[in-house]
Amino acid sequence: MLIGIAFALALGLAFFVVKPLLAAGTDEGTLPVDVTLQTDLKRRRLVVYDNIQDLEFEYQSRKIAAKDYEALRETYTTEAAHLITESHEVDRQSTEEAFIEREVAARRVGRKSEVVPDYTCPKCGFENPVPVKFCGECGAKLGPGTKLQ
Amino acid sequence: MNQVGSIGLIAGLAFGFYAVIAGVLGGRLRSLRITKSAERATLAFFVMITLAVATLEYLILTDSFSSAYVATHSNRALPFYYKIPVLWSGQEGSILFWTWLLSIYSALVVLMNRRRNRQLMPYVVSILMGTGVFFSSLLLFVANPFTDVAIAGVGGALRSFTPPDGNGLNPALQYPSMVIHPPMLYLGYVGMVVPFAFAMAALITRQLGDNWIRTTRRWTMVPWMFLGVGIILGGNWAYEVLGWGGYWAWDPVENASLLPWLAGTAFLHSVMIQEKRGMLKVWNIVLVIATFFLSIFGTFLTRSGIVSSVHAFAQSNIGPFFAVFLGIIVLFSVTLLFMRLDFLKSENQLDSVASRESGFLFNNWVLLAAVFAVLWGTIFPIISKAIENQTVTVGAPFFNRFMIPIGLVLLFLTGAGPLLAWRKTSFQSIRQNFTIPLAAAVVVTAILYALGVRGFYVSMTVLLSAFVAVATIGEFFKGARTRQKTLHENFVAAVFNLTMRNTRRYGGYVIHLGIVILFVGFLGQAFKSETKGLMAEGDLMHVKDYTLRCESFGTGDTPNYEYERASLSVIRDGRALGLMEPEQRFYTASQQATSHVALRTSPREDLYVVLAGQDPDSKKAIIQVFINPLVMWVWVGGVVLLLGTLLALVPSRVEREMAEMRREHEEALEIENLESQE
Repeated sequence: MLIGIAFALALGLAFFVVKPLLAAGTDEGTLPVDVTLQTDLKRRRLVVYDNIQDLEFEYQSRKIAAKDYEALRETYTTEAAHLITESHEVDRQSTEEAFIEREVAARRVGRKSEVVPDYTCPKCGFENPVPVKFCGECGAKLGPGTKLQ
Repeated sequence: MNQVGSIGLIAGLAFGFYAVIAGVLGGRLRSLRITKSAERATLAFFVMITLAVATLEYLILTDSFSSAYVATHSNRALPFYYKIPVLWSGQEGSILFWTWLLSIYSALVVLMNRRRNRQLMPYVVSILMGTGVFFSSLLLFVANPFTDVAIAGVGGALRSFTPPDGNGLNPALQYPSMVIHPPMLYLGYVGMVVPFAFAMAALITRQLGDNWIRTTRRWTMVPWMFLGVGIILGGNWAYEVLGWGGYWAWDPVENASLLPWLAGTAFLHSVMIQEKRGMLKVWNIVLVIATFFLSIFGTFLTRSGIVSSVHAFAQSNIGPFFAVFLGIIVLFSVTLLFMRLDFLKSENQLDSVASRESGFLFNNWVLLAAVFAVLWGTIFPIISKAIENQTVTVGAPFFNRFMIPIGLVLLFLTGAGPLLAWRKTSFQSIRQNFTIPLAAAVVVTAILYALGVRGFYVSMTVLLSAFVAVATIGEFFKGARTRQKTLHENFVAAVFNLTMRNTRRYGGYVIHLGIVILFVGFLGQAFKSETKGLMAEGDLMHVKDYTLRCESFGTGDTPNYEYERASLSVIRDGRALGLMEPEQRFYTASQQATSHVALRTSPREDLYVVLAGQDPDSKKAIIQVFINPLVMWVWVGGVVLLLGTLLALVPSRVEREMAEMRREHEEALEIENLESQE
């Protein structure tokens, strides 16, 4: 009896294990990316901000001499600035890449890009001169629908 | 019932094996479906091993002596609360217990990473289950806990047989702290597989940013804490049960648990440099490999019977299998590390020698020196026996000669490290931070010296302990004062908020204070004293300022054991302190004797009385009395260590921000997935 239950349990588990493989009809999903360049930069920026906060605090606690404090603050600020620039660069590139990809895809199906992408903000009406995800004037998100009006 | 356990093991092995293969495939093909299946196999592994554990525990609790394991390690008269630890008191059971803990850790890793570390997870699962396959194979083919007792019947054929009672649990293990000491140690040993699995997965997938480091930080801290608690409980057991008056003897099995703890301590410190400065990437991987290797090595030492130890487990045949497994670990991980060296370049350089980074680095080197000293002393007898066929023992003097100075350097760094700033510290800052703690330490040492606390190592320990204590408390004090000034909080709120803002740092400082308390406890060893004498009813014994009077000396029995007991009343400075009753016990089932120490503990010193037996000529009781100063502080230090680690495990503000960011990322991913499906 008990042996039977143990067998049944093992078989049930075997079914549970192979079930994801048997799911017919759905697309083979790929493993999502954990760390993108952008999130990594953001995280590194947070670490630098935290270092700066710590430094301020240690200076106020008189743990660090004024000379050290100024020198360290300078290095951290420069580091943060670099990270911000890099982050903008990545953002710009990815928007440009997305733009180019769209153009290429449109041309590949044998037609010219019929509509010139319009990045006019639906909220404030600002005509963004370059492809962007967020409005350069008011910061509103430009959804997929907005881009190709 | 044995068959049910066997089904658990066989199915567990099958699921484990499947998970290894599916994990590798899922990772190579980047397939979500195959990875999910591998993760489910890990959960199935957990269920089946749990079934095996439940079966064995059922056999033990129901006194099923037809099972060879139960007949060898338990008996009817054993109290219920000592029947549960029978599970891990023998070779087969303890390997099953190890495997079960591994299955719990693995299941937790799978459940907690359903939505993160998705690229790493297939390989993490493979490595966890690779270890699982090794241990469940051992259980099935070498050390099976599910066999029947068999005796030779007519014509020499074996037939099963149910003995009326079992051989009983080793009496030395029938002690309260022995019920939790092995699970704690095992949780520590086994848990180190998780950081190893993540590190290897990061190497395989080339995702060598600090993602794996942040994930495994907690997964290292938890087993590290268990290991620490386990070591101290083991010391407590040795102290109160073995009856030789001490708690640490540099026994090979004790050393085996200390080794991964030391390597893990090094890792927990050096990860901070990688997080803050993106440095020491290769070094951190090396430390993770070393910690895991030493954990398995520790299990091997404890379980193979290759070294002689107070944990006198029988010689067994599992040694060669462990040796091969250890070889595979080294070969696999080191090869992988060399293949990925290009991806492990440091993001920064060391700015200055006088910096927090170099403090950490130095601490790492000293900890590693400690690992080598202990490792060498532990394996030297094995090497010597293998090469020259001579049995040598490396005793406490060897270890003390190396470990006392190493311990003192570490103690100094415990206090000095936090006083140094990241990147670089000028002489002015050093003077500013070191003056008060050093001055306070010198004053304390001078006062104690005047009071008679002398000797080079004694004074050094006092000096450094006081230095670290003042420096560490100063960190809390200075931080709280600053908050008071800038945020107008009251002092208590300021200390609380300061701690909660960065729990890992201040939890770490609490751990440092625990270490100081431990050293104060160790200091007592320099002043211990010992007296031995024969006593009959009415006899007196004087030890320092204590007077012991023998009230009675007799015998008696319980269902589980027979005993000899001496009743001694204790008087100090004319004041009666009560009765102390040391015993010699003879356990009937296992036919083994053990001493039961009588202990009077106080913050100042322990009065430790052992009944060493009966003098054959005079028929008097042989009474051994130890005065052990400050021992209580070792246990207190252990508790503080535990509390500090728990505090460090509480997520701090910075970590919450990071977690928030991760959640946003996960949500964005889900939206993307949904959009792509539409």
